[in-house]
Amino acid sequence: MVVAEVRVELKKGVADPEGKNTLKALELLGFDGLKDVKTVKVFDIYLEDGGDVEKKVDEMCRRLLANPVIHNYSVKIK
Amino acid sequence: MQRVRDHFRERGRNPTDVELQSIGQAWSEHCCYKSSKVFLKEYVFGINTKQVIDRGDAGVMEFDKDHAYALRIESHNHPSAVEPYGGAATGIGGIIRDVLCMGAQPIALVDPLFFGPLDYPPEKVPRGIKHPKYLFGGIVAGIRDYGNRVGLPTVSGGVWFDESYVGNCLVNVGCVGIADKKNIRRNAVKGPGDVLVLVGGRTGRDGIHGVTFASAVLTKETETESRGAVQLGDPIMKEPVIHALLDANERGLVNGMKDLGGGGLSCVVGEIALAGGCGAEVDLGKVPLKEEGLAPWEIWVSESQERMMLAVSPRNVDEVLHVFKLWDVPATPVGKVIPEKSVRLYFQGEKVFDVELEFLTAGPVYCRPCSVARTSGKKGDKAPKPKDRYDRELLKLLATPNICNKDYVIRQYDHEVRGNTVIKPLQGKLGHWSHGDAAVLKPVEDSFRGLAIATASNPFAVGIDPYRGGKTCVDEMCRNLAAVGARPHSFTNCLNFGNPEKPDRLWLFREAVRGMGEVAKSLGVPTPSGNVSFYNEAPSGAVLPTPAILGCGIVRDIRKCVTSDLKREGNTVAIVGATAPEMGASAYYRLTKSHSRRVPDVDIQALRAGMDVVIGGIERGAVVACHDISDGGLAVALAEMCVGGDVGLEADISKMEKLRSDVRLFSESNSRWVVELRKGKEKQLPKDRKTKVVRLGTVCGSSLKISANKVLVDVEVAKLADSFNSTLWRLMG
Amino acid sequence: MKASQVKVCVLRIEGTNCEEEMFMSFKRLGAKPEKVHLKQLTGTDVSQEEKRDLSDYHILALPGGFSAGDYVRAGAIFAARMKSKLSKDLVEFIKAGKPVLGVCNGFQILVETGLLPAMSGIMSEFPEAVLGTNDSARFECRPTLLRKVNRGSCAFTSRISPDKISLIPSAHAEGKLMFPLDRTKAVLRELEDNDQIVFKYVDPEGNLAGYPWCPNGATENIAGICNREGNVFGLMPHPERVFFRFTHPDWTRETDGPGDGRAVFESVLDYATRKL
Repeated sequence: MVVAEVRVELKKGVADPEGKNTLKALELLGFDGLKDVKTVKVFDIYLEDGGDVEKKVDEMCRRLLANPVIHNYSVKIK
Repeated sequence: MQRVRDHFRERGRNPTDVELQSIGQAWSEHCCYKSSKVFLKEYVFGINTKQVIDRGDAGVMEFDKDHAYALRIESHNHPSAVEPYGGAATGIGGIIRDVLCMGAQPIALVDPLFFGPLDYPPEKVPRGIKHPKYLFGGIVAGIRDYGNRVGLPTVSGGVWFDESYVGNCLVNVGCVGIADKKNIRRNAVKGPGDVLVLVGGRTGRDGIHGVTFASAVLTKETETESRGAVQLGDPIMKEPVIHALLDANERGLVNGMKDLGGGGLSCVVGEIALAGGCGAEVDLGKVPLKEEGLAPWEIWVSESQERMMLAVSPRNVDEVLHVFKLWDVPATPVGKVIPEKSVRLYFQGEKVFDVELEFLTAGPVYCRPCSVARTSGKKGDKAPKPKDRYDRELLKLLATPNICNKDYVIRQYDHEVRGNTVIKPLQGKLGHWSHGDAAVLKPVEDSFRGLAIATASNPFAVGIDPYRGGKTCVDEMCRNLAAVGARPHSFTNCLNFGNPEKPDRLWLFREAVRGMGEVAKSLGVPTPSGNVSFYNEAPSGAVLPTPAILGCGIVRDIRKCVTSDLKREGNTVAIVGATAPEMGASAYYRLTKSHSRRVPDVDIQALRAGMDVVIGGIERGAVVACHDISDGGLAVALAEMCVGGDVGLEADISKMEKLRSDVRLFSESNSRWVVELRKGKEKQLPKDRKTKVVRLGTVCGSSLKISANKVLVDVEVAKLADSFNSTLWRLMG
Repeated sequence: MKASQVKVCVLRIEGTNCEEEMFMSFKRLGAKPEKVHLKQLTGTDVSQEEKRDLSDYHILALPGGFSAGDYVRAGAIFAARMKSKLSKDLVEFIKAGKPVLGVCNGFQILVETGLLPAMSGIMSEFPEAVLGTNDSARFECRPTLLRKVNRGSCAFTSRISPDKISLIPSAHAEGKLMFPLDRTKAVLRELEDNDQIVFKYVDPEGNLAGYPWCPNGATENIAGICNREGNVFGLMPHPERVFFRFTHPDWTRETDGPGDGRAVFESVLDYATRKL
């Protein structure tokens, strides 16, 4: 079995309200020295061995997991 | 335990572990109301009208000739205290199923919440207990995400704050549904041969012993030990369950159904079978599991979410399975109904359980001792010093968390999905909003008949005088419903109290129930369902005794409904009802650190008369805005009406009862409303000698001016709005 | 064609939850709506009698809700499922000039499918826009005012006069319409030139205003857009919730007249009865 780790993050410059609000909440809880918080989505996809796994997962990202307007994604085969 | 041992000794064998676990569940307080039954029976269950159709998992009432509505409220306190987001979300899931399994389409959610102060010093929070702010955020998010995702509007509720809730927050969730009368089902099988079909989520280890946990006192060890007892919900399993189930039911394929709530299969199988005068056989091996290796007793008592049990005639089973397949909802026949009143369980071909139902469901009923509470009796009366002006007190009251605008919460809930919410929880001129008293739904397409929904609770009053406090809660419910033009029709309640084994706590319970029952009985408003939550205690003490009421009222024609915001300059404003120096538990006394044990009483004749005046005035088109007088008294009610309408008001209160000015302004006497009368139609307001109507003044300008021979309050509406609107946003960051 | 002959496919999957009010909005105007599960169009798990063909309908409506839980991204799963099985049918449907409406989650689905804004052709291979998380990072249920800015291309707003301000309420957590950052200006100009912008969030005076009048922070306050032909239309606010006056948030202050959302459904039925 192969595990593909897909990491979907917001492109540079795209607003990240969830990150910003989390940052504020952490500061309100008394944590200092915080520079920024970014939200990233990670999917672990379990696949059978064989075939072009990388290509398959790339296709998954293009068809469902990421929206190219705001997202960058990267795939790590583990 | 002795009863259990004797029972099996008579049968000449030892109980299996499945049998022991099952009895433990079924006899817990949460499932069988051991301590509360006696009082509930005496004071509230007796109230009946011919509109009560059924008292099942949810109560069912007649809506009109062809339709019925179902209602229920229950607590989800302990799970929410441990895991606020998931706990609150699963609470909603459970209450929706209660309504659904009566055959009704859920149409509205209601949630009264009770927390410690949001700015409570973190260092004072006991170990193992979460900070109120964290609980508040998580619980609101849980209700939001679940309610919004299943597509049900959250139309009513409330948020109360008090130090007594720091160690034990209260999360009550209510649901109302509507159905064609012909689709209403009982929580019962039809007869032997019925196939038991388990639908919805798979069964796992989550939520084992949630019920017995719900009836335990929270301690600091609770947190780690009980994580396993909080269930994880999946709204996207629930939403298709609603579709599939209502679809199957409308096609007449379902004989009866019941929710798997507390106790899981172990409670539902016995109850649904016995209600139809039968027993059942279940093959535990057929129950779809989330994970391998669950022991039979775990399958039997698991409280995994999103599951329901259907009783289906054998010839309809295939069609039922097909409907569920279309919605990708697992549905599995797991057993059948047998004529003998027993439950028999099989697992991998072996019989692992065989118990007579009458023994299993006959939980003990206790008549525990009560004794008068030694509550705040030690405090003597202390009144605040009279003042010349009350501007500051009014602004402060508007900003207190218990009174302030709850839009921070309300706007996170979708309150108009389904497109039937006619009177919404926030009301006012566009861009301005204040609280309404009740929401109104128009549940039937070709009818203008409306169903009004209101929430009421006054833990502060119940805490000082539980009997009058209980009466006050019912009065508030009636006021809220009447304020939009609805006649109170039924109510359901969730009674959150401390440990009933302590006689003073049980006394509070009994007195509150007695008070509620007295008002409801003389008004003929039945309680077709209800819920009791005891053991709401942390080491620091019990919560304030908290009955939370979900009231339903009938509106004859929703086009006549009114909201609380002032409408037009030049209209007359009047007060309906009598004011008395009943300052105990008032927001004003709490603000000024004053004390009185005199909690508002209810004069039932005056309440009935007041409702007739208000509702009659609304139906005749004489009343264009109406607001009940509750927390913060007359001054706060007037201020809220000004804020919603973004317009001022000049009121002269000298014609009111001869009382101190601050009592006139801030008394929370029951059975009172403020009404705005349409110009030229003032005379259309009905008269009744059992209540009084006093003209206060005129809608005008941009300030709220209240005087009695001299000016008492003069504040710009914008300033009132600022105080009223900013508190929760500030506290929640 | 008569309104009573117009067949409307109200499409749903698990998590769709505004289909009842969408269905009723068409039904009240005399059309023939039907609630159809996506599986009935793709032929999965359904009996022969339950199977449906998209080409038998005249209007396709995608209601609001949280399809498939809005997991991954709002509307993404519904869109991927539809695209993998129904692409051809959808393209033919739109090519034939038949109207497609997406409200709230339905709008998110149209964007994720590439049917909006559809800058070139009928369906883009990948999304060309996104409905991102609201600036407040919260679900926002509030009354919103929309000014019609469309100059006449959109099949869903012919009954609404230019610049009219309609009260159509919003209820969503992900409604911030965005375009690729590096091309936002160009895209906006193109949308403007093609008359693809339909509604903008405004204040009671009709000015583009910030929060809370614009509940999500959308680019240029855009609340709804259509394709170049004007027969595919998506918007975040819910016209089906204000079909009647008495579901307006402030109707007790102004009781006369129909609900502001009704005109959207009247417009598209007008279009269907004239053109199809």
